[in-house]
Amino acid sequence: MSSKLPDGKTMRDGQIFSARLNNVVTTEREFDELVAKSLPELLDRATGQTRRFLRETNQWGDDITHEKLALRWGYELVERFVVFGRTEVPCRPFFLLDSLIAKSFSQPDPLCYHKELLTPVGRFLDGLASRAVVSRDALIALFYHFYGFSQAHVVKLLGFGQAESQRVYKNFERWRQTGWQRTMNETGLSGLEIEVLEQELRTRPDHLNHEVDRLMPVLQSHYRKSEPEHYPCLSEQKWGQLFHDDYGHDYRVWHLAFCRDCFMEVADRRQSEVSSGLKPHVNLHIHPLKKGGVLALFGGDRGGRQHGNTRAQRLSRTSA
Amino acid sequence: MEIPELNDYREHLLDALDDQPRRAAAERPGLLQVLVNHERVGTLNCAQTDPSFAFTVRERSIQHLEIRGESGVLVGGCVAPEAGKKDVRVPIGKGAAIIQVHNHFDGGSLQMRYEAAPRWWSHVAAAIGMPLGSSKPSTSATAIWTMTTAFAQIVLAVGVVALLAERVPSWMGSDDRAHQLEEELAARQSTQEQIDRVHQQLTQLIEAQTAALAVSRSEQERIAQLNNLVDTVTHAQQKLNTQVVAVQEDLHTVKTDVAQEVHNGMRVAVNAVEADRELVRQDLQTIKSVNETLIKQVALLESRNRELHARLALTSLEVAKANAAPKPTMLAKNDTAKDAAVPTTVADGLRETDRQAFMFWVAFEDGTTEKSIEDLVQELNGIKKGPMKSGWYSVEVNLPKPEPPDRFLESVKRAKIVKSVVTSKAMPPAQ
Repeated sequence: MSSKLPDGKTMRDGQIFSARLNNVVTTEREFDELVAKSLPELLDRATGQTRRFLRETNQWGDDITHEKLALRWGYELVERFVVFGRTEVPCRPFFLLDSLIAKSFSQPDPLCYHKELLTPVGRFLDGLASRAVVSRDALIALFYHFYGFSQAHVVKLLGFGQAESQRVYKNFERWRQTGWQRTMNETGLSGLEIEVLEQELRTRPDHLNHEVDRLMPVLQSHYRKSEPEHYPCLSEQKWGQLFHDDYGHDYRVWHLAFCRDCFMEVADRRQSEVSSGLKPHVNLHIHPLKKGGVLALFGGDRGGRQHGNTRAQRLSRTSA
Repeated sequence: MEIPELNDYREHLLDALDDQPRRAAAERPGLLQVLVNHERVGTLNCAQTDPSFAFTVRERSIQHLEIRGESGVLVGGCVAPEAGKKDVRVPIGKGAAIIQVHNHFDGGSLQMRYEAAPRWWSHVAAAIGMPLGSSKPSTSATAIWTMTTAFAQIVLAVGVVALLAERVPSWMGSDDRAHQLEEELAARQSTQEQIDRVHQQLTQLIEAQTAALAVSRSEQERIAQLNNLVDTVTHAQQKLNTQVVAVQEDLHTVKTDVAQEVHNGMRVAVNAVEADRELVRQDLQTIKSVNETLIKQVALLESRNRELHARLALTSLEVAKANAAPKPTMLAKNDTAKDAAVPTTVADGLRETDRQAFMFWVAFEDGTTEKSIEDLVQELNGIKKGPMKSGWYSVEVNLPKPEPPDRFLESVKRAKIVKSVVTSKAMPPAQ
């Protein structure tokens, strides 16, 4: 379907349709066919406009990290275009894409750009948080990747009942199977970069956790804008009342995953329920909680923190 | 090294875009996340009966609407105009989300509803001509079917686990056997717990269904009672309407009768008053005539009285003359002196009476002119004293000779214009 060009770019058959992207498309079927064959051009156009936006706002740097950022945000714009465009037929695809991009960039603070987040660990955290905004699986997984909380911990921390607990387990499972890898791919973190991160976590865990602790407020201040307006930070007393009266389940998930301070407060308060015995703290995990983690209950420590620390996996098993 | 990495990344993203429709189609419509302007605003649970979602935003209109699955896959959405309406039907799984966006310049509202595709048994039922029934029993049946399927899967899983428990020890080395055994035990325990949980859920489901049926029956009975009550109320209302109409007619009749009675009563009363007035007028006439008669009689009596006084005086004078002749001298002197004094007094009195003015009151016939009255007064040699009071004129005359006033008054009465004459000096007689 595709072939390599001399400059390294890919030539797809769809590029011959570039002229048609300026013409009017009259049916949904025609739109789908044209878009499917013109994805490289659409992605390049969206990436180019994102690059221009970053340049005009003095956020651009001539390096691969910025190129990846532009590609990633261009990809998100094209994904929306592919889905939304069917409802806009008849339309001129290029005009519609330009309109979508312009609308997105005309919003206040449309992209999460921060120089601190351009490092591998910053991009890793950014990719997770960005995905958590649109995926409940990623949202639940944040508790594990940021703090090392297993599904059982999460269920107890959030005070969920049986039905909600099953959902949490399903979230963990789906995240483990496809979600995490897809997020890493779409974030642009290569296997090598992930390995480097794992290595650093093994050798200097405190340093990396401290770095995560420093970057979390930067991330959360941007992505918490996706939080509904009626989800403010609560006082300790109100958190207690919320758990005691057993309401606001959705609130608990959304707010605690995206607010480090409230998470620490609630986790500390509910320490007896969580039964971890330790004061909650930032505890980075790169890979998702392994399914085989249940065996760690009997197998002991088999290799440190590579796929979730042993203690968390043991607690997960016993509380499941 | 950077260019190939970038190209790989681009290729990967293109593959992901290429795969997007397939992923969206494969997404099961469970819990859908709704994002407005790239901000998550809520969820739509498609497993509920009649799943719907509503959202209103102020200050900004709804420009982007995204519907994502629980895993974050973008399954639908649209771009809405800054002002105006947009209706979209987005296929999700086998069903579809009906989206209505209504924007105005200071905000917007979103209505979203998920319509599930009809189940295969609905098609079968339709094919064999069976009625589909309401959505609730269908949902219950779906839940039961899902639970049954889950139960069958669990039983199958238990079988597989049991088989593995038998076979796996021979496959694994001696170091892992104990570990595998523990794993199997844990898995069995977990599976057994799940089976128990499913049993409990099935029991709860049956109980809930029984309770729902009981509630449904009681509700039907209540509806029947309510219908009867409504019929009764309707009947009573009709009766009430009839009674109201009858009362209105009676009221109209009563009003007419009362008006007639009042009219008749008024007429009778007026007639009675007229008759009374006539009687009173007649009585007044009678009283007036009686009064006049009485006045005349009084005047006559007074004149007779005066005449008697005059005769008495004359008689007394004659008696005095007759007694004066046969008495002795001595006595005669004294008596003469005395008697002489009396006749002198009487004579003086008569002379004074002759000279004394005589006043009387006279009333004239209606239409008598002043001139006629003046002529009569002059003819009588009288003088009008004061103005007329209540139709009466006071007249003072000097009688030319010592004739009785009655005779004079009789002569006055005979005048044509004179209506009545009285002699009361105190005040004019009332008419």
